[in-house]
Amino acid sequence: MQEEIREIEDGLCLTVRVANDQGLHARPAARLVKEASRFTSRIVLASGDAEVDAKSILDILSLAAAKGTALELRASGPDAREALRHLAATFANRFREDT
Amino acid sequence: MARLILHGIPVSAGISIGKAFFAWRDNISTLPRGIVTPGAAQSEVERLESAVEAVQNELTQARNRVPAELKDHAAIIDSHLLIAADPKLIKDAARRIQEQNITAEWALEQAVEAIALAFSSIEDDYIRERVQDVRVVADRISKRLMGASGCLKRPLQERMVLMAHDLAPADTMELPLDKIMSFATSEGGKTSHTGILARSMLIPAVVGVSNLEEHVNDGDLVIVDALRGFIIVDPNEDELADYTELKFQFEAYQKALHKECRLPAETVDGYRVEVVANIEMTEEVAQVLDSGGEGVGLYRTEYAYLSRPALPTEDQLYEEYSELASIMAPGKVIFRTLDVGADKMLTEQTLMREPNPALGLRAIRYCLRNIDVFKTQLRAILRASVHGNVALMFPMISGLQELRQAKVLLNEVRMELDRARQPYNPNMPVGIMIELPSAVLIADSLAQEVDFFSIGTNDLIQYSLGIDRGNKHVSYLYQPLHPAIVRSIKFVVDAAHREGIEVSVCGEVAADPYCIPILLGMQIDAISIAPQSIPGIKRIIRRTNMEECKTLLNEVLRTATVARINRVVKDTIFKQFPEELTFYSSLIDHDD
Repeated sequence: MQEEIREIEDGLCLTVRVANDQGLHARPAARLVKEASRFTSRIVLASGDAEVDAKSILDILSLAAAKGTALELRASGPDAREALRHLAATFANRFREDT
Repeated sequence: MARLILHGIPVSAGISIGKAFFAWRDNISTLPRGIVTPGAAQSEVERLESAVEAVQNELTQARNRVPAELKDHAAIIDSHLLIAADPKLIKDAARRIQEQNITAEWALEQAVEAIALAFSSIEDDYIRERVQDVRVVADRISKRLMGASGCLKRPLQERMVLMAHDLAPADTMELPLDKIMSFATSEGGKTSHTGILARSMLIPAVVGVSNLEEHVNDGDLVIVDALRGFIIVDPNEDELADYTELKFQFEAYQKALHKECRLPAETVDGYRVEVVANIEMTEEVAQVLDSGGEGVGLYRTEYAYLSRPALPTEDQLYEEYSELASIMAPGKVIFRTLDVGADKMLTEQTLMREPNPALGLRAIRYCLRNIDVFKTQLRAILRASVHGNVALMFPMISGLQELRQAKVLLNEVRMELDRARQPYNPNMPVGIMIELPSAVLIADSLAQEVDFFSIGTNDLIQYSLGIDRGNKHVSYLYQPLHPAIVRSIKFVVDAAHREGIEVSVCGEVAADPYCIPILLGMQIDAISIAPQSIPGIKRIIRRTNMEECKTLLNEVLRTATVARINRVVKDTIFKQFPEELTFYSSLIDHDD
């Protein structure tokens, strides 16, 4: 049921879904920033026209992505593929700490 | 100071009477909003960076002092640390210093206002309120820039009512909590950090108090009513006497609740109701047992499916289910089969992009379409049935045929287990959720083919009244005592009892002190509610008279409008528990 990583103009992208009840609220957003910051690639989250920095908690919060929202994760850089895989798992685990 | 009442939002229940003490009185006018010489801009940026670093160190230290039981609190400080490092805030402020040649304090203020503006159009209340976090972090950096540190202007000598514009988690970690009777802040809403901290430490708190700083001074005598959400400044003698009494009563009530929570929920005239819990994780069992729950009336099984990228295996589910069943034994555990869809989607469901998932391929419909997924779960539940008092129920049943299809599959699984010589309880009860109006109307037929009913009122109300409770434009129509809802529940209970099967109500209605007497009047057999609601509801049931519940139910059934029903119910119930009900809020509070 995992989505495929696709190639785009300047990197890779993957569609993820917000699965936790609260949506991308403070704690999940914090978790996401921490995980994204482990990679050197530039990572952005896109929802409709909005495109935000996955390493900025304020940017992520400003998306106000509710549960069920589909988001596109785009990464460009040396560890783009790893980053997308890892972040997709973070989304799938609903940002739980124990994974 | 003249007597004055200030209104706010109660976030941690309780009463306190004491002297006010302001943690820090903000004085915005002293913020240096000045121009620096172009050459000084670089040193201004460096000043900002070193203040940010100092604040990050303070926050990290505060984070390390958070006791393990305050995990939420640690998470909040973590998010503040991220804000302090966020490029949106700090890099933007640095850019403003260089472009406009202004002081670091002014640049930071501008950066915050830019973020506040961007957030102001967000519809989600919780996220909009997080601008407060940005302000709190920026405020800390700003104070640091102006040479201050810490949160209290001087140490507390005696127990005080702590007041502040807002309290950040890092601030609260530096507070001597044993010297604080209660909190009052002028900022903050229902989800504010002060509330989280206060609840976990059992300290009363009122937030969002308008004009707090203008009207209260250090040393003023105040009453903090964190049951109803206001502050009385300079109270008169009658108020002091009344509140001293109320405070005493509330504290005694909390103690009594805990002491009595293991007693059976039996009305004064001997009608016994089973009180069980709604949970979604095995770890919650401890709380169920602590609060006097007699079993689990609704185990939501979705978590195992939504928490991993792949579907759970039969053995993973079996392990989870049998652990839960054996811990809870001899208390029962009712497993609700997979209820995905609507607000809880599997990845493949989200890919279908249904235009209206609440009315789409969800719950039992999804399971009947994905038979392998369904049978894997049924096998795990059946195998777990030998480890305790296990029952199973199907969600979202809309008609007889769906129920029969599900039961055919359950029988196939039983035969497969027989062939594999795996043990299971052949008499495990099988029930259904009644949450669709169609199921209500054919409850008599359904009752002939199952062992029990569980009425899911949260969904039944939404589907019957045609409203989405999360939609703020129509949420006012979420009316638990609408005549259609009361009649529906009554119809289902009567149909069940005619066939000699048990019926329970799971949903917030069953945890509402004003609604529970109506359910009792219908002679429901069990209620299933959140663990934290159990002690209070059990106590109310034990003080209720079944005959009076029946009389009230009959009056409700004869009444045509919701407003009138709510009025009648409120007046009647309030007269029965005038003291207790001051400690509760209700689903029917926002009528007329």
